Amino acid sequence: MSSAQLEIQLIASLVAVACAIPGTFLVLRKMAMISDAISHSILPGIVIGFFITNDLNSPLLILLAALTGIITVILVEYIQKTGLVKEDTAIGLVFPALFSIGVIMIAKNANDVHLDVDAVLLGELAFAPFDRLVIGGTDVGPKSFWIVGTILLITVTLLFTFFKELKVSTFDKGLAASLGFSPAIMHYGLMSVSSVTTVGAFDAVGAILVVALMIAPAAAAYLLTKDLKKMLGLAIGFGTFSAIFGYWVAHWLDASIAGSITTVLGLVFLMVYLFAPTKGIIAVLYRERQQRTEVSLLTFLLHLKNHDEESERHVKHLNEHINWQKVRSKSVLDLAQKNNMILIENNIVSLTQKGDEFTSKAIDYIITNEDTQIEDMKDDFFLFRG
Amino acid sequence: MDFIEYIELVFTDYTLRTITLGTAILGAVCGMLGSFAVLRKQSLLGDAISHAALPGIAIAFLITGAKDSNTLLLGALVSGLIGTFWIRGIVTKTHLKSDTALGLILSLFFGFGMLLLTFIQKQPNANQAGLDKYLFGQAATLVESDVWMMAIVTGICLIVMLTFWKEFKILLFDSDYTKTLGLNTKTIDILITSFIVLAIVLGLQTVGVVLMSAMLLAPAAAARQWTNSLAVMVFLAAIFGAFSGVVGTAISASQNNLSTGPVIVLVAAVFVVFSFIFSPSRGLLFKQIRFIKNRRDLELHKTLAFMHNIAETHEDISHPHAIRLLNNFQGYTKSSLQKLVDKDYVQINGNMWSLTETGFDIAANLYNKQTTEDE
Repeated sequence: MSSAQLEIQLIASLVAVACAIPGTFLVLRKMAMISDAISHSILPGIVIGFFITNDLNSPLLILLAALTGIITVILVEYIQKTGLVKEDTAIGLVFPALFSIGVIMIAKNANDVHLDVDAVLLGELAFAPFDRLVIGGTDVGPKSFWIVGTILLITVTLLFTFFKELKVSTFDKGLAASLGFSPAIMHYGLMSVSSVTTVGAFDAVGAILVVALMIAPAAAAYLLTKDLKKMLGLAIGFGTFSAIFGYWVAHWLDASIAGSITTVLGLVFLMVYLFAPTKGIIAVLYRERQQRTEVSLLTFLLHLKNHDEESERHVKHLNEHINWQKVRSKSVLDLAQKNNMILIENNIVSLTQKGDEFTSKAIDYIITNEDTQIEDMKDDFFLFRG
Repeated sequence: MDFIEYIELVFTDYTLRTITLGTAILGAVCGMLGSFAVLRKQSLLGDAISHAALPGIAIAFLITGAKDSNTLLLGALVSGLIGTFWIRGIVTKTHLKSDTALGLILSLFFGFGMLLLTFIQKQPNANQAGLDKYLFGQAATLVESDVWMMAIVTGICLIVMLTFWKEFKILLFDSDYTKTLGLNTKTIDILITSFIVLAIVLGLQTVGVVLMSAMLLAPAAAARQWTNSLAVMVFLAAIFGAFSGVVGTAISASQNNLSTGPVIVLVAAVFVVFSFIFSPSRGLLFKQIRFIKNRRDLELHKTLAFMHNIAETHEDISHPHAIRLLNNFQGYTKSSLQKLVDKDYVQINGNMWSLTETGFDIAANLYNKQTTEDE
């Protein structure tokens, strides 16, 4: 592994961590799309900064771009407050307009200079090691390493200083306000950090990867835990893993690093989305099926309780009269039998004492609809626990 | 190039005519379908889908090896639909909210698309150039067959929309009721969403990925301000969209180095700003004017009520009082006093004012009659 490779992976990991922290809060605050909006609307800021300084590496660019990001947030909020359109429409109106202004400014004025929409929007991590920071004649490393590192340091400091405030204002704005920390300050603080992070990371890896690094690790982490600290940790872990693994995929495929990091992030999210223990899609589908069977069982038991005549209680009756499919009625029957709720003699089904009690309680619950009743039932009759 | 010259060119110049027609049709269909997206609170869906279409374009190219725009758009359509349904899956099956789902699909699909594009660029195939025009859009690459394609799709959209108008409308405003009527909400839902995806895919080539969402939203958001009727809104949005397309194309054609997509978007944004400010019932300007007028009325009434309080203490209600008395009262100004005189509620003699009969009656009934009195 050459030093350039190491540097790229280091920068990518730093970006991943720097994005995961504000990203977690954005996802929790239902403002994930703001990161996408910011990443596009900072274009005019960059272009204006470039026209002023004529230098793509000037810190003024980052400053102006971050400022444009904050302006975007303020504009979105202003439009939303007028009540003329909903929040999502407000976002969707603001950032394409700002982006268009940026594109037109580039097209009109920057033809003869090196400023390209593709370059700004897509970014290329592979070039990062070539852009060195030289202080007093000594090479201290790639410039983006220092930029992203500084941003990360600020983010982490702010995170540790205001963790409690951030946490409270994220989950309960009213409580935060009543405890005396202004949710507005937290909001704009977070927005500023997101904006600065977007700009700093954007310079190194491009707009789309910034959005992916902000949202995907946080979303995957959110499917695995409800604990804020764990969520932050998991998001950082997913981000860093994808950054490093993604780099090697890009190396192997000889393709865009940002693209392959995003792809790895996508795969990580897909895995979590499918296989997360309680929130994953497979777990959810399984649970939904269980619940359906559970409800069917209850329906069936109620039916038995209401009918004494043998014709209504024949085993085959299930799929003939209640219109259940064979497999389903069999699984319901098996389940009921396993739980000792029914007896089957000569294909005639009857309730056991336990089944009878259970059904009476269930009716009680349905009539009163009180939660305490169902709690009792859970203790007395496990359905899928036993 | 001046304006008349431009109009002449539109009719004579093949390229310009094609582009103008194309952007007009695109604007119209986007406005039409965008109305549904805006009302269904799916505004950012356009942004997500337009990004999600990218890998489809790349894969379609990888499979066929050809740069036929219909094939590529088919790929875009498929991956756009996959993205849409994944978004829906995330929202319905997990506790992640729709904004997270949108952002996720948007960035992940787009990143994957970029990976494929860079992968394609490394392939020894001279044919791959120009795929990235889908990123930023190039109206200039529109040819007649593209415009026909757009026109046909728009036509189909229009027919389907008119056929299912009632169902669309009812689903928008009361989806629970739709279910109780026994209509299959899922089918209608999928139908609307698929058309939105289709419109976005059509626009990719012209305005590009980033600006497509604005094409979908801006005309609809502008149209929303002028009406409360869905039919009028859809119609207005189509008109606004078509106008943005035509005007945007005209402006970008009249200058050098002006890409069409961003100009169209900015023209649409101007429509939005204009509508936000000047629409009679919802607009900010008239709202402010109404607000000021209400406040003046209130102040007038306050002054009258205050005068009534003073006059009540005297047997003769028209007993004159010094204007000085009003000085400490906040609702009082010289002009509001003059207005009261004009309305014949108050008489002024030098430094003294007195309530007239009508003024007294009005003031006495101010609070119980306020609603009917209000002019």
